[in-house]
Amino acid sequence: MDIGFSAPERQFRAECREWLHAHVPTERRPLHAADALDFDKEWQRRLFDAGWAGINWPVAYGGRGLSLIDQVIWLEEYAHAQAPWIGANFVGVNHGGPTLIANASEAQKAWHLPRILKAEAIWCQGLSEPGAGSDLAGIRTRGRVDGDEIVVNGSKIWTSFAHVADWQELVLRTEEGSEKHRGLSWVICDMTAPGITITPIRKISGQVEFAQVFYDDVRIPLANVVGGLGNGWKVAMSTLGFERGTGFISDQVKQAAEVDDLIARAQAKGMIRDDRVADALATMRAEVAALRAMTYRNISDVIRNGQPGPEASVIRLFTSELGQRIERMAVTLMGAQMLEFGYGTDNAVADYLRGFAATIAGGTAQIQRDIIGERMLGLPRMR
Amino acid sequence: MDLAINQDQQALCDAAQDWLGDNMPLIGLRNRDPALFDQLVAMGWIGMTSPEVGFDHASEALVFIAMGAALAPLAALSSAVAARWFGAQGKVALAIPDHDRVQVFDSPGTALALGLWQGNAATIVLPETLDVRDCLDLSTNLAALESTPARTTASDPRAGLHLALLAAAYVLGCAEAARDMAADYARLREQFGRQIGAFQAIKHMAADMAVRAAVARSQLYYAACALDEGGADMAFHVAAAKRLADTAALANARANIQIHGGIGMTDEASPHLLLKRAHLLGFLAPVETRDLLPPIAKGLP
Repeated sequence: MDIGFSAPERQFRAECREWLHAHVPTERRPLHAADALDFDKEWQRRLFDAGWAGINWPVAYGGRGLSLIDQVIWLEEYAHAQAPWIGANFVGVNHGGPTLIANASEAQKAWHLPRILKAEAIWCQGLSEPGAGSDLAGIRTRGRVDGDEIVVNGSKIWTSFAHVADWQELVLRTEEGSEKHRGLSWVICDMTAPGITITPIRKISGQVEFAQVFYDDVRIPLANVVGGLGNGWKVAMSTLGFERGTGFISDQVKQAAEVDDLIARAQAKGMIRDDRVADALATMRAEVAALRAMTYRNISDVIRNGQPGPEASVIRLFTSELGQRIERMAVTLMGAQMLEFGYGTDNAVADYLRGFAATIAGGTAQIQRDIIGERMLGLPRMR
Repeated sequence: MDLAINQDQQALCDAAQDWLGDNMPLIGLRNRDPALFDQLVAMGWIGMTSPEVGFDHASEALVFIAMGAALAPLAALSSAVAARWFGAQGKVALAIPDHDRVQVFDSPGTALALGLWQGNAATIVLPETLDVRDCLDLSTNLAALESTPARTTASDPRAGLHLALLAAAYVLGCAEAARDMAADYARLREQFGRQIGAFQAIKHMAADMAVRAAVARSQLYYAACALDEGGADMAFHVAAAKRLADTAALANARANIQIHGGIGMTDEASPHLLLKRAHLLGFLAPVETRDLLPPIAKGLP
């Protein structure tokens, strides 16, 4: 084991740092998804033009084809430079794209992947439904095959960026009468297709970022099915490993910087003399260090064995709950000033409020604990 | 950068676990043959990072995690550090200072003890007669010295960090043993017509035990590498590893008793042994708040 980086890796890190230092936008990313769209697209396009988009994507589809370690270095430097969140490009770059790389046909990859990297196409997810949250296999949105098309009816919810997206990774039930994980298909849905209605939803932070999507006889070409009809669950699950691996590195680097920033603020306000505050901050500092170590460990396992170790499922849960502790501490240090928050404000209170999503979205903390108990400890399933 | 266990290290872990399972089962904890310690020495597990042996800190820590899970003798910690930094051979007792007093553990069969004073590793020569008695941790025994004998302090600050790192490995082993014991029992015990591990109230307690152990183990690997490198942040990383392992061991040991229910309250069952060991190791190389804060935040009241 070692924690050092090779000379070429250090050189790559220096290149990342230099470019980011010169190019990170000074203006703040707008709060609401619709207002931020142009900002998100322009920033992603600059990343692409300079060769920083898709660091570990295949060269054939516009990526750099570099190693997982290089990807880690880029993400670390990206967060150190306080570069903006990639916002509307998040789903395409971090989820839809990797899913296509792993499962799509050559034609699908050749068409979609470069457009994702260049921010010419914005993607959104389409998994959760009003009746299928933690019990995702309860998906009821139907797709009836009609000639060379699928006719879709139903609804998806909590769809981030739905109202600004061009494409959606839509998981629906294409086999009539099928149950649970069977009979689902993963389909590329054109968000401009007739029959789609989008209702944006305001969050407790005041932000308008996600939406409910309704499908009324929406026709999608059969050619848009990824990984074959009826294989939707397998396709949807294929990228979860990615989410648990490098998907959280930027968050972790940001968390480390935030903790040190909180310590400085607690000192400036004299609150660090409160033993509870000092010890909570000290513990968080140990925890962010451990989280980095755990991520490095996970990546090392992927490099060594081709797959993440069993601890991978812990990373997601721990990152989300640690993030919430940090956000709570930031609000504690604000004192009664937090009450001056109003919708449209983008400060620590907004972070605290939108941070509640971290233990809900993409599988609640309770579901994560089920997974850890059953897969790591071999405890019996209840469901 | 590589924080994965390599093949050699895996073989080392497997061998250690096999031997410990055969020779140091928890069930015989209170009647262990004192000669077992000599076997630990004979197998080369005491002093692995000495220059003449040459293992890295991570490999040594992996063996100590396995020993910690078996509640192996506390003297392995002090003996390993004494072998490397003081050239001592064989068994050296573990000293834990308590203000002016010193508590000495595993003292029979040796005249030397090693402990940490203000973060520095030092040895003391033990008085010829000691009042050795039972103590909280049933794997060991305690002799209390009312005043601290003259100390010989290691010149290298890494000696103290070495003891803290091994203590972190031992206490992590304890945390993992509690996790595994609880999971085993939750798969075995049935109530309301099913294994209790199927209930989320139990499953989620067990999952939290796994999370705490995974977090602490990861930081321990990083701290071991940081100690190899000898950089400016090595003390922080070792302290972070010890803090997280201490927290994990106490919380897991408590949860393990709860999951065992009435059985967990009995002297005959093993859960209390882990709790008691976790408490003891919390006093060895204890981590203060200031050890974890950045240098600018030090000098606090």
